[in-house]
Amino acid sequence: MNPNLCTPQDHRLSRRQWLGATGAMALGGLSLPAFAEELKKKRKQVLFVWLDGGMSQLESWDPKPNTTFGGPFRAISTSVPGTHVSELLPQTAKQMHRLAVVRSVSTQDNSHSAGVDRIQRGDPKNRGVVYPYLGSAVANWVGAGDSGLPPYVWIKPGNGGFIDREAGFLGPKFGALALGDGKPPENLIRPKELSMADDFERNELRKLADARYSAGRRKENTEANSFAFDMAEQLQKKLELFDISKLPAKDTQRYGTHDLGRHLLLARRMLEAGVTFVKVTSYGWDTHGDHFNGAASLHPKFDKPFAAMIEDLAERGMLDDILVIAISEFGRTPRINGHLGRDHWPEAWSVAMAGRGIKPGVVEGKTNALGTEVASEPHDIGHLFHTWYKALGIDPKKSKYQNAGQPLPIAHEDMHAVKEVLA
Amino acid sequence: MIPKELGKPLTLPCQSSRIRFGPEGVLFAAGHDGSVLRWDVTGKEPKPLPTVKLHNGWATALAFHPKKPLAISADSHGALIAWDRTADTPTPVWSQPKAHDGWLRATVVHDDRVVSLGRDGFVRGWNLDDGKPLRELSLGVDIFSLAVAPDGKSFVVGDLFGNIHVIEWDKWKVLSKYEVKELHLLDRIQDVGGVRALAFKPDGRSLFVAGSVPKSGGFVQGFPLMVELEWPSGKRLTQWKGAADNEGFIHDLLWLDEGFLAGVTSGQPGQGRLFVWKPGDAKPLFESTKLPNCHSLARHGKLLAHSATNANSSGNGKVKGKDGDYPANSSPIQLWTMA
Repeated sequence: MNPNLCTPQDHRLSRRQWLGATGAMALGGLSLPAFAEELKKKRKQVLFVWLDGGMSQLESWDPKPNTTFGGPFRAISTSVPGTHVSELLPQTAKQMHRLAVVRSVSTQDNSHSAGVDRIQRGDPKNRGVVYPYLGSAVANWVGAGDSGLPPYVWIKPGNGGFIDREAGFLGPKFGALALGDGKPPENLIRPKELSMADDFERNELRKLADARYSAGRRKENTEANSFAFDMAEQLQKKLELFDISKLPAKDTQRYGTHDLGRHLLLARRMLEAGVTFVKVTSYGWDTHGDHFNGAASLHPKFDKPFAAMIEDLAERGMLDDILVIAISEFGRTPRINGHLGRDHWPEAWSVAMAGRGIKPGVVEGKTNALGTEVASEPHDIGHLFHTWYKALGIDPKKSKYQNAGQPLPIAHEDMHAVKEVLA
Repeated sequence: MIPKELGKPLTLPCQSSRIRFGPEGVLFAAGHDGSVLRWDVTGKEPKPLPTVKLHNGWATALAFHPKKPLAISADSHGALIAWDRTADTPTPVWSQPKAHDGWLRATVVHDDRVVSLGRDGFVRGWNLDDGKPLRELSLGVDIFSLAVAPDGKSFVVGDLFGNIHVIEWDKWKVLSKYEVKELHLLDRIQDVGGVRALAFKPDGRSLFVAGSVPKSGGFVQGFPLMVELEWPSGKRLTQWKGAADNEGFIHDLLWLDEGFLAGVTSGQPGQGRLFVWKPGDAKPLFESTKLPNCHSLARHGKLLAHSATNANSSGNGKVKGKDGDYPANSSPIQLWTMA
């Protein structure tokens, strides 16, 4: 074995690696007036709300009350005359004039293991390469801008760290910086006992070692190592972004104190500060059992902060620049099982979106009376990727990835944008 | 106290989460299609009676006027309706279409009142004869279950968080609150569990509180749990906890005058049972798992009935039926005679 060749494990950035040694510069804070400055910079940004496990379309965007599979809940009117959503989304109903809902989503996988990946990678044709998740792809196409923050931030429950697997063939540099439990990475602040000068010296030494290690190795992987340290350095300058305690109490009330509420509020801060792509994940939506009581608990915890986010982005004039997407890996079965649950259902479900490039107040596509079939042109995730790229001003028909000299389409080439939801 | 099976299960065109016997021995099932199905089971063979269609959403709860031929039924869209239970095509005698804001969970008749409770957190009292509103109390939490104390001086309601609120019948105020906290879990952002069933011992010395000890949200795995509380002190006495975490909830409870409790459980698809338990025993003295995913039970004289779910009720994606269709599930009802 060639000793100069490394293994993939060598380049896997452990949490300790990326959190532990960072180049510390002066701790400059981003003041609130600076937020306003950031707001002035018109950019392409994305908020991607991922409801992991599968949100039920029947208890959210496509209710079918008084039908065989309709469940116990009512449909309610929205701010768009003639459009109804489940009674479990009362706040979002008031923001419907700012949203577009595709009710004709029909995808391929009814398992989490395949669905999570394929939905977030856009399920392109198989070319023997691993496509990037949407966040990594947008980080690649749009870049970090001049916010001084990483381009792809993932706010999630549980552990954080630098998640490079989402980047696929783009390489680890386009991975996600995950903020576990919405907190900044641990050990981000230079320890008191380490002087600024010593820390600077240590960092220079690290860079030298990196450069030596990089010689003769694949550029993408070694770049990612430096990138992780650079991100840490950038974040140190903006730690107050994470301190939501200084926000008005009414913000906390409007978003809620549960994980999803806190994380969406932090996401708003990240978007205000100029992060290109913010993904917020909520786990636990796989309601195979006691589904209706589960939905009664879960859906309002999405509804309230999501509606608050849409309202806030609109009021701040940010919805013109930020594409908002609320999605899962699939919907849930119309059929109600014996545990009063709904199982996995990719056949006919819904995705909601708003903001940049999206026509507001639109419902595209429909399902049949029982919700068991798409009753209009079905739309796969490839159609939605085309739609989102177009909304961001990226031409999905002309833009190509270059993977080691191989041109690759950025979205499934047999599909097209859902023009009915494009502004 | 061993129930003996009586014939084949009754078949329903829909799922049902609540069955009850009327005073005359007619069996009623509240359907997920908003209908109330009926069978005369007083003869040798059960005889279907005309289905009643007065509700929206799911029909969820049933109660009966003890003297007049009125049935009171409720639905998940918030309506409470009284109708002539002897009529083939009944029309409402009285109706409160917005008795609750959404899912009406339970109702009971006592004295001259109907008590109802809903997901909106309200407990409301209505005049039994004309449906006029009498009393209202907000508990501010999702409430599931309801039972009137044998002395009639108070009633209890069970909420999502494992609390049992004792409410004075006359003044309609909360007298005290008991807790069976194991019946609730906050898993990630999902509140799971709740007090799903309540039953008093007729001598007024015990209250049985039932639900599940949840292990997780989503799939909702959990152990069935039933706790006996001394009444009215609320002191914990005996309990029975199921052995498997896939068996889920005790959804309904019934005191049998012979000195036993009967209950039904439903958990992961395919799991669940009818059981008869003597308070204090380590395990039930009778169990039937012939029908899975059981949701309700009722008794009239020597007859016992329990509702369940058809086999193979679950599956990801478009699971096809025998004819290539996409079938709905249903709730077979098994009749038993009490030996």
